[in-house]
Amino acid sequence: MATIVQFLHSIPIDLLIIQTVNGVVTGMILALVASGLTLIFGIMDVVNFAHGELFMLGAYMGVIAFAMTGNFWLALALSALILAIFGAALQIVTLRPLIGRDPLNTILATFGISLVLQNYALWQFGPVARKISEPIGAEFTLFYLQYPWYRIVIALLSGAIIGAVWLFLKFNKYGVWVRATTQDRVMAQAMGIPVPLVYTGVFALGAAMAAVSGVLFAPFGGVDSQMGLQWVLEAFIVVVVGGMGNLGGSIVAAIFISLLEAYAAVWLDPSQAVIVSFVVLILTLLFRPTGLFAAPK
Amino acid sequence: MSAATEAAEPLVCVEDVHTYYGKSHILHGVSLTVGTGEVVGLLGRNGVGKSTTLKTIMGLVQPSRGAVLFAGKRITGTPPHKLARLGIGYVPEDRRIFRLLTVTENLRTGLDRHGVTEERRKTLLDKVFTYFPVLAERRGQAGGTLSGGEQQMLAIARAMMLEPRIILLDEPTEGLMPRMVAQIRNIIDVLHGERVSILLVEQNVPLTLEASQRVYILEKGCVRHHCAASAIDVNDPLIKQYLGV
Repeated sequence: MATIVQFLHSIPIDLLIIQTVNGVVTGMILALVASGLTLIFGIMDVVNFAHGELFMLGAYMGVIAFAMTGNFWLALALSALILAIFGAALQIVTLRPLIGRDPLNTILATFGISLVLQNYALWQFGPVARKISEPIGAEFTLFYLQYPWYRIVIALLSGAIIGAVWLFLKFNKYGVWVRATTQDRVMAQAMGIPVPLVYTGVFALGAAMAAVSGVLFAPFGGVDSQMGLQWVLEAFIVVVVGGMGNLGGSIVAAIFISLLEAYAAVWLDPSQAVIVSFVVLILTLLFRPTGLFAAPK
Repeated sequence: MSAATEAAEPLVCVEDVHTYYGKSHILHGVSLTVGTGEVVGLLGRNGVGKSTTLKTIMGLVQPSRGAVLFAGKRITGTPPHKLARLGIGYVPEDRRIFRLLTVTENLRTGLDRHGVTEERRKTLLDKVFTYFPVLAERRGQAGGTLSGGEQQMLAIARAMMLEPRIILLDEPTEGLMPRMVAQIRNIIDVLHGERVSILLVEQNVPLTLEASQRVYILEKGCVRHHCAASAIDVNDPLIKQYLGV
């Protein structure tokens, strides 16, 4: 009993609150990356290994558009638009011909695309990370820290984008098409829904979401050809833990895992804290392989 | 064989169609026609290729030989979503309701087409809600929570949203209570009254003979017999031969 009380007293409350804010902020960006991934998987049955590279290209497009326009938010919108068009073209050229084939085909295809894009970026933009400054410089005081407002804005913006996608899926005509296609693509076709077009649209949407998260994240870590790797790994963990193809599950899982990692970092070295998410992944695969928040079948 | 009742201008024409699932040869040269406004029954034991015939017309499986014509035009190879928009409605055997979509959303999948005015939507919805009042009661409920009979009604109502010229009905009364069967029977007559053609696959022989003008009997992927529905009854030796257990 005494040891528990002692332990509880040893918890630094201020640090926990800071880490909660950090966890939620990271979780929201992660949720944005993961929801693009889970959307593509849920609807097209495509495990998109190139998602991290779309994130990375989005960040580069943001940097370039920022250099040209000088406006961060305009650059963000341009990057999303460019990556949506690029995603649509990529889907038509590489994935559409594979519809109906074994999933292994699309896995190899997207993996190949990711290698090509990574090396293209390295060749085109060089190995030195590009910098982009935060569009909002203001900070507020959180205990002993000066916490940047930009991080809070990111979290809210990510939430707003995910909310907008949810509203689109729920109420829009094309959203209903997307959901019908997810549930039964054969019957969706028989109801006159142009399924190949739905696939292309969803891939474009997923690419745009990856691009937005890439641009939003760019001011923290810099932009280089490898930046997608770490995010896509975390995003895959989130998608599996949240239930493959389950949008709501991914969001909850993203925040859950980011919070766990943030809390773990209170006691562990941050590089060891990453282990926590792998532990969650393994436990999920062992005990709830369909995901912690699997939708009822 | 009575060719007297053959429709003058067939809406759907299946010509010597051969269909394979992988290596198994399912349809061995099926030919049949459905006239405009005609109800045609397709009888036969399980596994003789009745559902495959419907799927071939809908473009869900591709025939290796032969052709399907719709209103005189060859539609073999046309993607299903285009066929749906041309006016072919499909009600599959297992109903295939979008389980997580509400009743209204299920109907919307057929309504959100190009050129459907707000007024037209309302008329179409009113119509199915009149024939299937239970769907109106459940309009906000997920399709997967409906009973089997309600799902069947929703599947038919959903196909009706396309304002089709022909509906391919696959075993609509399978596993339903008699009251529901009567309701399905009723909607077939209503559609017939509106000059919508129906190709009806059924195990329920009396219902099929009552509802259709002509029937085809399939065995082992071939049409074995074809006649006016009035020219045959449930106790006919042919029925025993091809459908008896």
